[in-house]
Amino acid sequence: MKRTVPLVLTFFVGMFMIGEFFIPHYQYRLITADFLEWGVVLAAAAFVLGLFNLLQVNLPKVIRRDPDWGYKLLMLVALVVTLVVGFAEGSARQEPGHVYKWIYDAMFVPLNATMFALLAFYIASAAFRAFRARNIDAAILLVAAVIVMLARVPVGESLPIVGDKLPQFMNWLMDVPNIAARRAIFIGAALGAVATGLRVILGIERSHLGGE
Amino acid sequence: MTLFQFLERFQAMDRRWVFLGMAIAIIVPMLVPINFEFSVDERVQAMYDEVESLPAGSTVLVSADFDPASRPELEPFFRANLEHMFRRDIRVVMVTLWEFAPPLVVPILDEMAARHGKEYGTDYAYIGFKPGKELAIKAIGENIYKTFPEDPRGNKVASLPIMQGFKQAKDFPLLVSVSAGFPGTREYVLQIQGQYNLNMISACTAVSAPDFIPFYKAGQLKGLSGGMPGSAQYEKLVYPDGPPPGVRLLATQSVNVLNLGHLYIILLIVLGNVSWMLTRPRDVAAGGKA
Amino acid sequence: MATIDIAGAWVSIFLTMCIFSYLYDDNPIYKMAEHLFLGVSIGISTVEIYFGAFKPNMLDKLYNGQLLSIVPLVLVLMLFLKVNRKYSWVARIPIAFIVAAYAGVKLTGQAQSNLMTQVSQSMPDLGQLWADHGMWDWSADGAGVFSGLFLVVGLVAALLHFYFSAPHNRPMRMVSRFGVMVLMLSFGASFGYTVMGRISLAIGRVQEMLGLDRPAAEAAAIHPQVASVVSAGVVIAVLVAWRMQQARSAPPADAEPAP
Repeated sequence: MKRTVPLVLTFFVGMFMIGEFFIPHYQYRLITADFLEWGVVLAAAAFVLGLFNLLQVNLPKVIRRDPDWGYKLLMLVALVVTLVVGFAEGSARQEPGHVYKWIYDAMFVPLNATMFALLAFYIASAAFRAFRARNIDAAILLVAAVIVMLARVPVGESLPIVGDKLPQFMNWLMDVPNIAARRAIFIGAALGAVATGLRVILGIERSHLGGE
Repeated sequence: MTLFQFLERFQAMDRRWVFLGMAIAIIVPMLVPINFEFSVDERVQAMYDEVESLPAGSTVLVSADFDPASRPELEPFFRANLEHMFRRDIRVVMVTLWEFAPPLVVPILDEMAARHGKEYGTDYAYIGFKPGKELAIKAIGENIYKTFPEDPRGNKVASLPIMQGFKQAKDFPLLVSVSAGFPGTREYVLQIQGQYNLNMISACTAVSAPDFIPFYKAGQLKGLSGGMPGSAQYEKLVYPDGPPPGVRLLATQSVNVLNLGHLYIILLIVLGNVSWMLTRPRDVAAGGKA
Repeated sequence: MATIDIAGAWVSIFLTMCIFSYLYDDNPIYKMAEHLFLGVSIGISTVEIYFGAFKPNMLDKLYNGQLLSIVPLVLVLMLFLKVNRKYSWVARIPIAFIVAAYAGVKLTGQAQSNLMTQVSQSMPDLGQLWADHGMWDWSADGAGVFSGLFLVVGLVAALLHFYFSAPHNRPMRMVSRFGVMVLMLSFGASFGYTVMGRISLAIGRVQEMLGLDRPAAEAAAIHPQVASVVSAGVVIAVLVAWRMQQARSAPPADAEPAP
């Protein structure tokens, strides 16, 4: 029962959602609209579950004074303050002059943006230390990369002799070989996704149900 | 020191020198700008033309799915697109699928609307954020009133004047996806563009652009802007005579900074490969890796 | 401009410098900023998810008497039982629901848009291409019969490269080789775009530190360049102190290793 009921539910819900694509009847769509809404709420609940797990893992580390407990405490304090402020300010929280908005602008924006900005430096380091034309394939990759890097910026169009043709050749690269390769990947991925989806719906794939 | 020894030490150089070089390649062109002219891509022109073809009074659905990390690439497009639409008296309904987007995109929408004297609920509206990724997109395709019962200001979405007659995504003549990743343009194309034959344009980050070009070529997207150069090209189309006072064209300002950055990366690739090739034969002879 | 907003801009620039300090080395000031980021981002996600989904799509509907909204409430409560070892099996039902819903929508979406549409668009009309562009048309970015054939042959070759159900004989290996070259062209183009994207992100941060992303009046009130110099000074001072403390607490170079 503990596995049969979820498997049967998987089948019926999965088939219903596949049918949504083909059946435009409004009464069928009423049911699928409810399913979609419940799915959205459940997806939100799954995130909250992750929050519980975070507290479950980090709170004992702070209480026990494990190594780096100070950083964990800072994280938990920041989390609690943001939650309290966000819920307290409610629907007005995103307006200027509110603490939640200040936390977002002064803390979240620079931290989020700079975390990703570090990648610019690491890609420079990788370009120097790791990108080697060890064989013909790697050489093709690097040549294509250099052409695209030159052609996508204004200075590329201003280069003497090749400046006119460089953006055109780059567009050809993106419109022909790139599309050929991407389509091959998309088609392969689509076939895989269809196969996996069918396996899940038909109960052949059961890993999402866990052990026992 | 022989050339071989120098090249070996050069290859083993502390990467923090490379980081410093990257920082200089970004800071110097910002302080000493050298501006080169750039042309507009066919894909960005198609985007612009798609918005231009809409009659005044049309209502467009905008899905603003980006966060502060992708702001330099997408915010300039987002602002220019809103300017373009409000200037043509096109009404805008905005949603988002990213939880970090609302505090970023809603003030921009309010600011651009205020600049054109637009009224909330009649000329523009932000109806909310919805988690759930593909399920949320499917739900938008099926029934917006059910998916977004109330906007964040507490108004019933179904009774907003701007939402009258727009119950499903297919009721909008155009869907604009400003997308930094997952969920975003790809999920809109996969989930509802084909099923409902939606007219859709997309502004995406540079990382995603090669993936979305097949969608453009297949007609699933009517226009595509990729990364900061795409945003700069769109700004050029929206402000052909330059920006009015008080308006900053951040992508146009920044795109020429990319010149030195790209040249620096190309130089690193060339130097790294040349020094590796010149030191390689001795490595192999000594029994090391090629 | 309000003092709190100026303070916020200075905090923003200081935190930017804290994260950039990672380029020197993993250090306490970076760790502090990283954990602050984790806490704030999870807090913001939770708040937005509550106001974006729980409240409008479940709680408000229940409050307004729409009894069908009891179903998602029950499913959510069942999902939360996952944290309890004895009753975690109950969570299989909402998990089965959501996995099935995602599988169903992804299946049709992928089949329609990635498979059918992309395959149908890969059949070029060579006659039309010849009439419009001839063999190769520079003014149309290389469109023409050559490009049409290259696209089809490249697509088939790349697909063949991913075919693992039977061993490749010599002709298949040759075609697969061409497919790999087409893939490399595409990945190279991707790399070029990725470099552009990454540098753009760094440009955004430097613009903020130099005050170039704000109107002149705001920048004059905030003095972002002063903030950048002061923040850099503080971060460097912390890094120097940290390095000195590390040097003091490191064992002497000639000490005996532990048994």
